Amino acid sequence: MKNFVLGFLATVLLILIVPLTYLRLGAAEVRGDVRAPSWESRLMRFARHASVTRSAQGIQNPLPHSDEQLIAGAKMYLDGCAGCHGRPGRPARNRIAYAPPPEFAHVGSPYREPELFWVVKHGIRRTGMSAYASFYSDQQVWQLVEFVQQMNNLPPAVFDAIQPERP
Amino acid sequence: MKKFITGSSCAIVFLAIALAAYLALGFMDVAADRRPSALEAGFMTASLEASVRRRAPQMQNPLANSDDTLIAGGKLYLNDCVGCHGGPGQPPSHFGATFYPPAPQFPSAGTQFSEAQIFWVAKNGIRMTGMYPQGASYSDSQLWSLAAFISRARNLPPAVVKSIQPPLSK
Repeated sequence: MKNFVLGFLATVLLILIVPLTYLRLGAAEVRGDVRAPSWESRLMRFARHASVTRSAQGIQNPLPHSDEQLIAGAKMYLDGCAGCHGRPGRPARNRIAYAPPPEFAHVGSPYREPELFWVVKHGIRRTGMSAYASFYSDQQVWQLVEFVQQMNNLPPAVFDAIQPERP
Repeated sequence: MKKFITGSSCAIVFLAIALAAYLALGFMDVAADRRPSALEAGFMTASLEASVRRRAPQMQNPLANSDDTLIAGGKLYLNDCVGCHGGPGQPPSHFGATFYPPAPQFPSAGTQFSEAQIFWVAKNGIRMTGMYPQGASYSDSQLWSLAAFISRARNLPPAVVKSIQPPLSK
């Protein structure tokens, strides 16, 4: 029994010390233009998704869905988000290899509306996604979220309304 | 000895299950507007700096150490960096503080990095932060002028500050 406990503790210590030493000696890759191994990106995506889902529990969209909300959301999106996340019909000129911002115009979003709302407000730690709660009201964030969810499937009237004006 | 190995194996299985449960149940806090513990933040910052020191070239800035270099770098800085990293003579960037890790405020806080390390970070970016790589947007020579500027952002010659100010609008 004594040997069992010793083996258990020694292994726990070793498993803690090795990665901490690896990090502290500067052995970890930090370049943002190098892709992470796919097991790492997948594991982090999985854990992030689980955390966002948990955090957004109980949040509900109070706004009725309407074309006006979508148009208001589109204006904010094109101003503030399109640079990294792409605009409808045009992919972003994206240079961030890790963690890459999701290209909503191509792949949509893996999140439901309350989860997107939470992400926009609080940001995502250790990514380029900053927290926007101090820049937009809750109502504006909901408008933004509705647009993101529907941007690949917009009502024609909304699509026309958000096209840049031709000179 | 056999019991020691059994204990060791149990520890591996136990830690693997604990980690998987922690991640899968969503306990890894991802909010950028909440700070991790000072211990975690300090350790990760030290690790990041250690990695940059290990990888960045050890060399002098190949550009002339002159006001012209600082002015060229300053103009780039005011175009592309100021939004997150703050401008000379301005309060710290509010936008830069909404990331985690927050963007370092060079004009107020300076930086520990050498010019070669600043050059390397600007060119390659930093993984798992908002610092995206600039190597595709700027030439090496432009990035060296930027590094010279950032390195002295807390202590710029007045002539440089004056000549990079945007013209006053009427």
